[in-house]
Amino acid sequence: MSDVVPLRAAEDIALFGSKAVGLGQALRDGLPVPPGVALSGAVVDAVAGRDEDAIRRVSESVADLHGALAVRSSAADEDGADASFAGQHMTLLNVRGADELTAAIGEVWWSANSDSAITYRQRVGLFTRPSIGVVIQALVEPDTAGVMFTVNPVTGADERLIEASLGLGEAVVDGRVIPDHYRVGRDGEIIERRAGRKDIAVRSLPDGGTYEEQIAPELVEKLCLDDGQLAELNQLAERCEQVYGPARDTEWAISAGELYLLQCRAVTTVAA
Amino acid sequence: MTGAPIEVLGRVPLFADLDEGELRKIATVFKERRFSSGDTIIQQGSGAAAFFVVDSGEVVVHVDGIERRTLKDGDYFGEMALIDAGARTATVKALSDVVCSGVTFWDFRPIVEENGVIGWKLLQSLIAIYRSERDELNGPT
Repeated sequence: MSDVVPLRAAEDIALFGSKAVGLGQALRDGLPVPPGVALSGAVVDAVAGRDEDAIRRVSESVADLHGALAVRSSAADEDGADASFAGQHMTLLNVRGADELTAAIGEVWWSANSDSAITYRQRVGLFTRPSIGVVIQALVEPDTAGVMFTVNPVTGADERLIEASLGLGEAVVDGRVIPDHYRVGRDGEIIERRAGRKDIAVRSLPDGGTYEEQIAPELVEKLCLDDGQLAELNQLAERCEQVYGPARDTEWAISAGELYLLQCRAVTTVAA
Repeated sequence: MTGAPIEVLGRVPLFADLDEGELRKIATVFKERRFSSGDTIIQQGSGAAAFFVVDSGEVVVHVDGIERRTLKDGDYFGEMALIDAGARTATVKALSDVVCSGVTFWDFRPIVEENGVIGWKLLQSLIAIYRSERDELNGPT
């Protein structure tokens, strides 16, 4: 079996990691996931060691992903229901060019082999050598993005909990803004809308990397999702649960009117 | 290039008794890692994953909040991580943009287990370093 495959073809968790396989399954099931490529742990290890053959193969595999890329970790034991490593491993956005891609893959390898990652693995009882795959996708440049839980993780209520902000979703995931907060019933009823304080948006730089854009004052506390978008997110939540199962923690983005699913993993703690 | 520069590894006291072939074997499992000025590379008290050799740039070592020394090209830190994953004994921060070659416990151990000669030489180097540091503290015994 090849160890560099289109994301749609990633099916072996031991080889590509659960994130890649999850996104591959989503693509196979028609969910709106940006196209991409999955690298096995062995290929990531080789690229991190600057193996020229591995670097060449990876460059060839992303030739059809034009423009900026998102490089995400996909460890074999990451994002499982028992031990979500969310935040321990790495995502690099707006990666451009072969040299940056090689460096980014190396950074992902080190994120899984960092002191903090190893400490976390020991704490959750994982003493085996990390195997870190990588997902490389075309970068979506969102107007709005954020996270969505298909069940309320705080109260356990059967409703969608959505947090949203402007620009790349990192502003929400990294806690750089107070995002808008929405609760939507499974039947689509909008239970709550609460504007956050979105004073910055994370945007891509033309030559790579990201920066924080100051948001116009009139938009800082203006809701960034309308009812139509909330309805689409609710439908996406339903589809995710059909494909993956209940209680999902997702990341999403809306770009030029299109809704994309960026990540989907099990919620590790849901209130009873 | 794959792995760490041989000439850099050869200057590390821990590897002082290894011949070129043995150094090359060890060098292949090192991986480059870059840090920006101001980055905390390792934090005292955290679990240990990797041993680093400084290829370029400068880092500063603090123990219990007190600056102990700076390290430059060819210097190394975190060597105890090669043997166990116990708590870091120092904090190391980048004073400039730094390029390191690093190796994890998982990648280093198989080499030592497969090659008893390398293992024995490393043990001798560790003992020599230990004696030197103990003599510095207590005087020779």
